[in-house]
Amino acid sequence: MTHASPTPTKKYDLNFARWVYENVDGGDRMALCMQCGTCSGSCPVGQQMDYGPRKLFMMIRAGLKEEVLKSNTLWNCVSCYNCVVRCPRKVPVTYILHDLATVAVREGYAEAKESDNSRFAKAFWWSAAKYGRTDERLVTALYYFSFGMGEGYKRGMANMPIAMGMVKTKRMHLGMPHKCKNTGELKKILAKAAEIEARSHAGGAGNANPAGGTAGHDK
Amino acid sequence: MTKKIVSYYPGCSSQASAVHLDTSLRAVMPKLGVEFKEVQDWNCCGASVGHIAGGHVPMAALSGRNLANAKTDGTSDFVTPCAACYLNSHYTNEKIRDNAKVRDEVNEALGVAGKSYDGSLNVRHICEVIVNDVGMDAVKAQVKNPLTGLKVAGYIGCQTVRPFARTERGGMWDTYDDPTFLNDFISATGATAVPYTKKTSCCGGSVSVMSPEKTLHLIKDIVGEAQEQGADVIATPCPLCQTNVEMYQTALNQKYGTNFNIPVVFYSQLFAVAFGMDPKKDAALHQHLISADPVLARAK
Repeated sequence: MTHASPTPTKKYDLNFARWVYENVDGGDRMALCMQCGTCSGSCPVGQQMDYGPRKLFMMIRAGLKEEVLKSNTLWNCVSCYNCVVRCPRKVPVTYILHDLATVAVREGYAEAKESDNSRFAKAFWWSAAKYGRTDERLVTALYYFSFGMGEGYKRGMANMPIAMGMVKTKRMHLGMPHKCKNTGELKKILAKAAEIEARSHAGGAGNANPAGGTAGHDK
Repeated sequence: MTKKIVSYYPGCSSQASAVHLDTSLRAVMPKLGVEFKEVQDWNCCGASVGHIAGGHVPMAALSGRNLANAKTDGTSDFVTPCAACYLNSHYTNEKIRDNAKVRDEVNEALGVAGKSYDGSLNVRHICEVIVNDVGMDAVKAQVKNPLTGLKVAGYIGCQTVRPFARTERGGMWDTYDDPTFLNDFISATGATAVPYTKKTSCCGGSVSVMSPEKTLHLIKDIVGEAQEQGADVIATPCPLCQTNVEMYQTALNQKYGTNFNIPVVFYSQLFAVAFGMDPKKDAALHQHLISADPVLARAK
């Protein structure tokens, strides 16, 4: 994975497609997509997506970068991996959608940053990195309140019966979060890993975002 | 019976929403000849959203640390009961073993803590261990209290078999679309597995947790077919499936006017009851939002 993705300047400009082939997890196999539609046909939530995976892949080839990275396709994927195991060309569709989602957030698209998944991921990662464990209570609360105080309260109240049931059946504990013993070590490892991750996205600035990029959407 | 010691990675849900999976597994697995050695100071695997906020390398480092810790235990199998933990650990383990760049990156990160890992462990789902190492004969041999007459819809979900019905060292432990292991487990307890085409349909996973309005219709079909087939309970191996399919039945009834009230249990809880073990201490059957009465009624 290297630097920001290039923006096509004309229809069927393959620069973004080539970047996806080279930089997105599983992208190398995306070049083999034959547009059969097995992925979209296998998708349990395909009808709720702006574009099914088949169409999204064709749009990448057509140079429609903005539409691809703004689409809800990246966020409605439920990670069922039907498309991955059924693709006759062994294109790892779910992995590609996951990685395109990461690209969309990293490149600053508002549709991506404000998606439910991005908000939830932020809360989730906070707990995983801080405690080394997912605290279902705190992750849910942080996620709800990412929509604002009013909305957070509303969602919290709406889900109160479930939360009370979970407490009553001892599937949600009261008190401090569970955590790893050596959270210091975990933090050090994750800080180093983040540094390595950043290193792979840095550099090659001259290559990133050639003419045609939309202000504010790259980097 | 041959005894086997495995590294056990319970995953975060074992201390929260799926504590009843962990409790029942710890009770039944020794009876099936499998001893757990819990992975030292294990951490979260990042589930299906970690990559968005954390990035690839930190995501791989999470599983890398668990695998490195397990490696020091001297076992060869890294075993987990959680679908997402299995997927992430399996994926990262293969990447570390087969991809020099990922291996170097993960080891550079682990290196700051003096740890390293080479991909040499075998990451396995606990159900695969039951299928391949334990076998149904050994399960049946433990059944002292057959669950005769109990009608069960075996709901497997996604990530237990997709994409890693393919095992670490090649070969398949079951199929992607029509896996049979869960019905075998159900039959071994003496219960009846009802015909159930939704067995590998998706419950929405984490999307159901964050945006249920997008995925409630998926759960409606999963519970709906179980009801149509006259199932007394739904049984599943997946922690998130259990929670989603159970906790949203009230919301489904409100939204669709259905009358769902079907308990959702883990296969390991059925094992515990069929093995004649304590319904509370071993089977953890008191920890359901929808009381598992049809199973409790058969407990000894």
